[in-house]
Order: sequence, then C-alpha cells, then structure tokens
Amino acid sequence: MATTESDQMAYIAAQAADARVNVEVETDEGMTLNLGPQHPATHGTLRIVAKLDGEKVLAAEPIMGYMHRGYEKLTEVRTYPQVTTLVNRIDWLGSFANEVPFILAAEQLMEVEAPPRAQWIRTVLFELSRIANISLFLGDMAVQVGATTPVFYAFRDREFVLNQIERVTGGRFHPNFDRIGGLKDDLPKGWIEETGAVLGKMRDFCDEMEELVLGNEIFQARTRGIGVIPPDVALSYGLSGANLRASGIDWDIRRDANVGLVYDEVDWKVWTHPDGDSFSRFWVRLQETREAINILEQLLGGIPSGPIMAKVPRIIKVPAGEAYVATENPLGEMGFYVVSQGDLTPFRVKIRSASFSNMSITPWLLKGVFVPDIISILASLYFILGDIDR
Amino acid sequence: MAEIPEHLLKRAQAAREKAEAEAKSSTGDSTKPEETAVTETTETDEEVILTDEKAEAALATLQQELEGKILDSHIATGRGLWIRVGIQDWRPAAKAAKEALDCKFFDWLSAIDWMPSPYGREHETEQDLINDDPEENDDKEMEWGYTGGETRFQLICRVYSISKKIGVMIKADLPDNDPRALSLIPIYAGANWHEREAREMFGLTFDEHPDLRNIYLPGDFEGHPLRKDYPLLSRRMKPWPGIVDVELLPGDEE
Amino acid sequence: MGLVESGKIPKPLTKLLNMSRRYSMWVYQWGLACCAIEMGAAFASPRYDVMRLGVIPLPASPRQADFLVVSGTVTDKMAPAVRRLWEQMPDPKYVISMGSCANCGGPYWDSYSVTKGVDQVIPVDVYVPGCPPRPEALLEGIVLLQERIMNEDMAERWKGDPIVVE
Repeated sequence: MATTESDQMAYIAAQAADARVNVEVETDEGMTLNLGPQHPATHGTLRIVAKLDGEKVLAAEPIMGYMHRGYEKLTEVRTYPQVTTLVNRIDWLGSFANEVPFILAAEQLMEVEAPPRAQWIRTVLFELSRIANISLFLGDMAVQVGATTPVFYAFRDREFVLNQIERVTGGRFHPNFDRIGGLKDDLPKGWIEETGAVLGKMRDFCDEMEELVLGNEIFQARTRGIGVIPPDVALSYGLSGANLRASGIDWDIRRDANVGLVYDEVDWKVWTHPDGDSFSRFWVRLQETREAINILEQLLGGIPSGPIMAKVPRIIKVPAGEAYVATENPLGEMGFYVVSQGDLTPFRVKIRSASFSNMSITPWLLKGVFVPDIISILASLYFILGDIDR
Repeated sequence: MAEIPEHLLKRAQAAREKAEAEAKSSTGDSTKPEETAVTETTETDEEVILTDEKAEAALATLQQELEGKILDSHIATGRGLWIRVGIQDWRPAAKAAKEALDCKFFDWLSAIDWMPSPYGREHETEQDLINDDPEENDDKEMEWGYTGGETRFQLICRVYSISKKIGVMIKADLPDNDPRALSLIPIYAGANWHEREAREMFGLTFDEHPDLRNIYLPGDFEGHPLRKDYPLLSRRMKPWPGIVDVELLPGDEE
Repeated sequence: MGLVESGKIPKPLTKLLNMSRRYSMWVYQWGLACCAIEMGAAFASPRYDVMRLGVIPLPASPRQADFLVVSGTVTDKMAPAVRRLWEQMPDPKYVISMGSCANCGGPYWDSYSVTKGVDQVIPVDVYVPGCPPRPEALLEGIVLLQERIMNEDMAERWKGDPIVVE
C-alpha cells in the first residue's frame, strides 16, 4: 500500500504531538509523567502531573478545571426553581441527591416544610440515587485494578434502578423532580412493588460484586495497605462520606445532622472500617449500598398518605437570610450555602461539593506511592469531575 | 451470598464500639452538649420562642477564648452559629474553634461579594442592564447578611465539630483597598485548594499560602468571575431565554 | 490505494468499500461529563450493545479510531485538547457531538468558561440532542452516521488538504 506524502506528514506530526502529550519534561529530579486530561482511568477529565523517580512518585498534583462550568456564578442569574436544573448536573451519577440540599436550604429560608409524604418519597429517591451512583463505583473500581467484567455487570444492573427513577421522574439521569415545598408528582401506580423487586436484584448484585471482587487475591494485593489516610488527616482535609468512615470516623450526616429527610424513621447502621486504605473504602461503599437497600425496603413499606406539595406561592421569592444545609450524598457531604436578599434569584450560592474536598488530599496521599497505585488510590477515593470542578 | 470475611466484621465492630465508647466518654466531660438541640423555653399562648442551647454554649466558649474579638454573632435556631471577627483575628478565630470547640472537620472556605450587581438580577430583566452611570450604581447600598459587615468582600469559613455536633461559620471583612488575609493552611491543611479557589474567583490574596495558582481557570483568564461586576457576556448578546418560568396551562389564560 | 487517489472509482467498488467501512468502525470515546455515562451505557453495557451495529468501542488510542464521540461539556480549557485529539485521528474521520453541551453549550449557554458548542473547535457530522441523550439516541446518531458514510463519494472525501499539526 502506497503511502502519500500527506500521510507521512500527518504521521510525523502526530508522533511529535504524542511525545509532547505523554512525557512533558525530563528534569534532574526525575521524570514527569502526565496522566490526562483524557485518560481512561479518570472519571472524566482530570489531569495528574506526577514527578517520578523510577516507579516512585515524588510529587503528584491534580490539575482541574477542565470541567469547570461556573455553577456558582450561574446560580446568581437563575431563579430558585431554575437552579435545580443546574445543580442536577454536579454529581451526574446520583442527580436527585444534588437537588435535595438546595431545596432544603431554600425551604429553610422560606420557612416552609414539605408534607410527610413528600419527605418520604424524597428519601426514597435519594437512596435510589445512592445505589445508582455507588453501583457504578463498585464495577469501576475493579476495572481500575485490572478486572473488566464487573463494570459490565454494574452497567447492566444499574439500568434497573435508573428505570425506576425514570418511572417516577421522567428522567434517567437528571430528574429535576424536587420542588420548594414538595415534589413535582406523586408515585405512579405499582411503583412500590416494582421497586421492591429491583431491590432484590440489587442485593444480588452486591453479593455478586463481593464474590467477584472483594475476595480476589489480586484485588486485595492492589488495595490492602495502599493509600492509607489517618483519621486526623482526613478531618483536616475535609474528607467526607465513605472516605471518612473508611478511616474509622463514625460520622454520617444522615444519622447525626439530618435535615428534612426521614432517616430517623428506619432502623439502619453506619458502617466504618478502621484501616483507611483503598480496600476499606471499597468495603465501606459496598456495605453502604446494602444498607441503602435495607433503608429502602423499610421506607417503601411505610410511605404515609397525604399531599405531596405544601402551599407555596406560584412565583417564588425567598426572604432575606442565609442558610447552609448539607446532606450525605453518595460521594460525601454536599452542602449549599444560600444567601438570599429577597429576590427571585439567590444572591450567592456556595456549593460545598464532596469530591472537591476529597480530592484535595491527593497531593499528600500520592507522595511516595508507586505509579500503578495512583490509579487504584484515585479510584478508591471515588470522585466525579462535575463534583470537583462544578 | 458470599461471606464477609470474619476478621473484617470483627474489626469493623471493634472500631464501632470504640468510637461509641469515645463518644460517650467525651459527652460525659463536656457540659451537656448531647441535650436536644432545640428546646422550647418560653411558651405563651401565641408564640413559641426557640433557643439553641448547643449553639449558645459554643458561642460562650468562643467568646471566652477570643476575649472580645468577636464583633458580632448570630444564632439561627437549630441551624448553627455565625460569628464575625476582624481580619487580623481570622486565623486566631479558626484556631480557637479548632482547639476550644474541637472543630477538627474543615468544611469549606469561600468569600462573598456584597456589592449589588450592577447588571440587575431581577427576574423580569429582559436583557442584563448595562449601567455605565456610576452615580446610579452608588444608589444601591450594600446589604449584609447575618452578623452584618463593613466592606465589600467578606471571607467565610465553616468548620464542624464532630464530637459536639455543632458547625461554626466564621466571617471576616476584608479591607477594600487590599483584600488579603492570612492563610488557614497551618491549622487546616484542607484550606489550600479552597483558598486557591477563592483567590481566582474573587481576586483575594492569602499570605503564607505556598501556591496561589489558578485552580480552575486557564492561566491567561482575565477577571474574577464571582465578583458581582464581572459580566456574563453571553447574556449581553441575547435575552435570557428562560424568562417564561411559569407557562400558562390550557384554559389558564387571563 | 492508488485507485482512490486517482479520483476514479467504479460505483460498485465504492459501494463495497463504503459498506465495509460502515460496518467496521472504531469509536473513540471522549467522555467529558454526564453524557459520558450514557455513552458508557451504550458502549459498555450489555443492554444496548453497540457492537451489533458494527461499531467497536474502546480502542487503545485515537490513532486507531474512525470516529469520535464528544460527549459532554467542552470548556475553554479543554478545547485545545479536544482539537489535538481530533488531529491525531487518521483520515477519514467523523465526529458525533453528543448532548446539548457539546452541541451548543446547553444549560451553560451563559457561562464564562464553557465553549458554546464543540463545532467551534472541530467539524461535526452528527449532532445528538438531549441532556443527556438516552443511549438509544446515541445509537440512532451512529446509524445516521453510517448512512452518511454509505452515501459518501470516497474520491471526493480524499481530495481534501492533508491535516497538519503545527
């Protein structure tokens, strides 16, 4: 096959470009390895620049902003009901969970409370988002340490949960279902029974994951004792969610600082693990998925009847004030600090997203590990780029 | 169903018991922090005044620790505690919260620009107003939120005490001519990225910060997007397409 | 092939070549945001199974890819990287823009950091609307692209200037 001149030129140019991308600089201190911004092992577009000495990482620094979409500025030019459309897309794996803290903060300022039925359904959807989110993590974590099969199972079984969310809200991903004062709609007929069946499937999925991944020797060798975070370091970096609990700190906003959701009504347990390594983070998340199924099964049996919407004005003006509400999202603590000055739009919204704080520990954590461990540690910290960059 | 390895279960259980024991012992020491957060104290026929004992106790502790440096405070019942300090007391206040109140959990740090937006942010605005008349801008006065304020930029930081279950918002006014503050990194390592974000979004400076580069925006980005006078250029070109928020339903016409 | 460059290909041969190109496409996935998960569901999940369309996902590098799916928000910081990756792909190459953000900026139409459409950076063949589009919508987009390839005059396509990376 004849090669044209243009082919050759394109090839040479491509080689040169590739060389620029892969290895940027070589210094006396060692080699600089660039991972990303598009790298199959990152959940989105994160870039890690690591200085290496042989296989050892001397210093690693994440470079973000490839997904920065300016949420905090945009909320200042959107009305309150429009903001939920935006914040849906922060943590795109468990979208419904993003809306809840913002709506709760607005409700606090307006001094309205959703009726009990709305609170229950909110909690149900919140936990369903958690399963939709973490089930993908369980598969993905295995991919990052070299096993491809679990992610196919995760995608397969996740669809069942997404279908249930879609049946209520009309959207697989971004429901935009939560309203100030309640919910947009009631549950469709027969939904509760169907969800019960789906929960059974998800329970099987958890067992399957445990069988496939948790006991695997390679998985254990790649994660045990890797990326250990001591509790006090975790606190000072503001780690939250399963990352904090995997370091042995028994703290869960759902149990300890619950606002507006009905976790007090059910019997459940907060899982912790003393080790603080990658393995324990996986283990805690696996147990949390099971616990979420457990919570859901209890919640589904007891949804009270009644209205799903409190009385709120049609055009929503939020009285002046400040409110901070945080919820225990699948990724960790997600909070909205809403400053209102009595307008139709918020004056300032500070979004405290879990992944941003969770990732801020990486320069500390990646120092001194080996190159393959970068991937497994990042995977176990579990971040979503929309949640970091916002 | 696969079994959870036995030793893991045992270890998890042990850790849990230990944490519970610690929580119990720490509650025994401090003065009644585990009381219900919101208690009804006064009850008349018509109104119920709620007080927040936990927040009051925390405020008393901080006042004792900071010796009159707290300029203003606000307690929203059941929702937490706000305090405002001078900018020179920014780091001591965080330190006091960490040491006296056991606020080891660094939640977040950011800033607020209290200047009213010169472009208007009303719902009805067809197109963002371009107001070049400086006098008209001066008409709008700054309104501060809880604990008041004096200057345009205000730093705000939230720290949380897991043992006492109380969150504290610390605010500090930044001088208008030179908005700078001491970095909180020596106290909370996690403040690093939050301060970088606040710097690029508001154009603040943090002294003793090791690495104040842009965190999100490209290096050659101009301006500080979260300042109120930063224009969103797309909105200047085109009216906001989402003005019709509540569409009329059939049969709903006036 | 000399035949292609000469610009004279018999019609049946064009059809044969086009058909073989149509059903053997490597797709490079450029997952950027929410849409990446729906794309992952289309490519990696057994339910949607993109391989029945003759599309092979997950190549090792863009050098092997025939078309690119840009799924998600392209920011100004990311745009140069998108361009560079597209330049690394061998000709003939196609681009599917997936989701409102990649099409036009979507909900971030007034943001200060978002590129209002990936077509400002690279040429796009098929736009898939939605926020995010369902996996089925992406499959529909792929079918549309395949139809386009089927009706393509190869000689015409090859006449273009070579792509040079500066």
